[in-house]
Amino acid sequence: MFAYTIKRLIQMVVVLWAVSVIVFLMMSFTGDPVFMVIPIDSSEAEIEQARRILGLDRSLTEQYFIFLGNLLQGDFGTSYVFRQPAIDLILERLPATLEIVVVAMVIATTIAIPLGVYAGANPGRPLSRLIMSGSLLGISLPGFWVGMMLIYFFAVEWRIFPSSGRGDTVEVFGVPTSLLTADGWSHVLLPAITLSVGTLAILLRITRAGMMEVSRQDYMKFARAKGVSRRGVLYGHGLRNGLIPVVTIFGLQLGDLIAFATITETIFGWPGMGKLLVDSIYRADRPVIVVYLMLVALIFVVINFLIDILYTMIDPRITVK
Amino acid sequence: MTKQFPTKLKGLLATAALALVLPGIAAAQDQTLTVGLTADAVHLDPQAGEELSSNIMFYHLYDPLVRRDANLQFGPGLAESWELVDDVTWRFTLREGVTFHNGEPFTADDVIFTFDRLKDSLMSNLAKNIDTYTAVDERTIEIVTYQPYAALPNDLAAILILNRDHAEAVGEDQMELQPVGTGPYQLNEWIREDRIVLDAFQEYYAGPAEIDQVVFRPLTNPATRTAALLTGELDIVQDLSVRDVERVAAEDGFEVVTRPSLLNLVLALDVRPQSPTIDLDTNPMTDRRVREAIARAIDVETIRTVIMNGLSTPSEQYVPSTHVGYLEGANFREMYPFDLEAARALMAEAGYADGFTMTLDATNNRYVNDAQIAQALASMLSQIGITLELNLMPRANFFGYIRVPSEQSSFIMSGWDVPSGDAGSMYASMFYSPGTREGYSQVNRGHYSNPEVDRLIDLADSTPRVEERDAHLQQVTEILLQDIPMIPVHYEQDIYGVRDGIEFEPRTDKFLWAYDIRIAE
Repeated sequence: MFAYTIKRLIQMVVVLWAVSVIVFLMMSFTGDPVFMVIPIDSSEAEIEQARRILGLDRSLTEQYFIFLGNLLQGDFGTSYVFRQPAIDLILERLPATLEIVVVAMVIATTIAIPLGVYAGANPGRPLSRLIMSGSLLGISLPGFWVGMMLIYFFAVEWRIFPSSGRGDTVEVFGVPTSLLTADGWSHVLLPAITLSVGTLAILLRITRAGMMEVSRQDYMKFARAKGVSRRGVLYGHGLRNGLIPVVTIFGLQLGDLIAFATITETIFGWPGMGKLLVDSIYRADRPVIVVYLMLVALIFVVINFLIDILYTMIDPRITVK
Repeated sequence: MTKQFPTKLKGLLATAALALVLPGIAAAQDQTLTVGLTADAVHLDPQAGEELSSNIMFYHLYDPLVRRDANLQFGPGLAESWELVDDVTWRFTLREGVTFHNGEPFTADDVIFTFDRLKDSLMSNLAKNIDTYTAVDERTIEIVTYQPYAALPNDLAAILILNRDHAEAVGEDQMELQPVGTGPYQLNEWIREDRIVLDAFQEYYAGPAEIDQVVFRPLTNPATRTAALLTGELDIVQDLSVRDVERVAAEDGFEVVTRPSLLNLVLALDVRPQSPTIDLDTNPMTDRRVREAIARAIDVETIRTVIMNGLSTPSEQYVPSTHVGYLEGANFREMYPFDLEAARALMAEAGYADGFTMTLDATNNRYVNDAQIAQALASMLSQIGITLELNLMPRANFFGYIRVPSEQSSFIMSGWDVPSGDAGSMYASMFYSPGTREGYSQVNRGHYSNPEVDRLIDLADSTPRVEERDAHLQQVTEILLQDIPMIPVHYEQDIYGVRDGIEFEPRTDKFLWAYDIRIAE
């Protein structure tokens, strides 16, 4: 286990390093950030002054080594546009994103797993067919369309929820959250539902596939014959054995939603970090993009690590090496 | 703003209760205005950068020495009056009894501090004509320009005054987060990407604002802005989507307000002997007849109706009629109306009956429908034999790509706006002969060069009197309209959705200002 953790840590450092190199290289093709921050009719002298202020007067390799050097001292660089530490800009927006992602994942799992188990255990029933075609719809509907429809009906037509924004927040250990106020929840629900639709559909289909796979196994029939209740067989034996792919997909989806909830955030005016990435790409704000993508890589590595541990808990035959 | 709902309800209940007790007395209820912007402000420090949302905040929080009103007229701001001492020296008398949000009095020293800091900042461009500045006494500032420069007061409208004590006390890092100015509003809270809340500053020198609190909410998605307006969460939305104009106009209780913007979409023509994307020994566009043919082949009216949904104003000149340098009665559209026959004849006369091929550089995410306009231009110019290849790119790449000396460009579509209300800066940077004068022709992308134009710009930039400057610049306008180094296309339209009961006049410069807005009920 210890060796495994060390191995994973080394892997992580390599991944983060690769991300930083790739982003640096890519950003050298995406235009000159200087022209994003100063008026376009600036004179040569003013452009030079701006380059000096932003640290763009050095070569790309030099900039990269300065970046690495600062990184080792815990300095992640300063945004060209905001003139503030890039990491602060991201962390400031992270809680809002985590909030809708967590709610979305809870919604997705609590609905997807029971429905998936049902559809997998009773493939022929009309309700199962309905569930399956519903899930197909969930996969194929684009998130922005679902979001706009929810806003149209729940905010504009029926006036049940507000259309956008984050609403009242309460600070818990210095981190603002909307999940402790009624007003906050009224703002969270629509974006969280929008975000959950795709994941819900995928998890449901994976659960069903897993259930259909295991329900053909002899131990299922044997358990039933032994007198275990149908429910006990389905959840205790069936689901548990069909869970490995579900957990894998869950992890990937979780990382994906945290990193790229951009569209949903934009539609609902949700102050999360996904929008920051898009804006930063648009403004050629390299320091923010580098730190953002490194953070995303970190999140994926950590989630996958936790999922691996989870495997061993679900199936004791699996050991991490 | 759901917060608004309960507060409003409470407010209503309180008013109702009060009305019961004291009939006939309408309670002076706290007025809140909620505005939907297209993006969050990036800066609250006016010397850190600029874009529209930040500019809107700047003018709520700070004041300039010279104020520019909604119609681009310039008048006293923190400077009560000014006079010319000699051709390059201006003396500004500062207003008395002005205080900053932190209670400090406004003095000449704050102006000096502002200029000092500006010169070393990313926005030093704002002070490019200012050579030296001195405080004569507590209430008097003398500014010396490099050369006689009549538009100095206009330039000063873009320089916002900071408080020295505050800036030195909080340090550079906090200037973005703790803005302190003399403006009509002060910062209450800024939750990034969610809202900026400003409270009326009770000691404002021109009297406290009528609207006690302004909430700005960034909503990037146009459909969400419309939805939030219709649900009553917003009172005003900026950049109402063209798609939603009919819907909002038809809805009870809302109106659509439009105003031509200052942003002139222009096409720069390369007039170098050889042009980067034209594979010919001589660049056809060196011939004025070819330039005129291109101008006549572009049907601006079709662009307006088909691509812009009627929401654009064809440009008459390079600057709008409010500007110094605008030539009364001259209209590019009347001089070169859309006329394919005439255009073809001009091409033939110039020896290019078979046309030629060149590339148009344009953005695809900077101006309204920019990519579609570029496509329309390609099909329009194909009518006179010009094969236009499109090179569309995001704005992050564009401005570096087309940068002077424009080594890769023959034909460039970009926007230009002059909020200073003076054509001089545009003409000097776009049409002055390249490489002849320091600080001029930085964006002369077509390498246009005309000694007469240079002479007139020099003259305009060597008089401190606006009337003379205006006369010289009008002559430049006349020559440019004849020479066609650039084709003006149209001004985009600014579109707002407004709830009934809000008295709101859009500003020409788009810098929405709550101090000028009234709430009727």
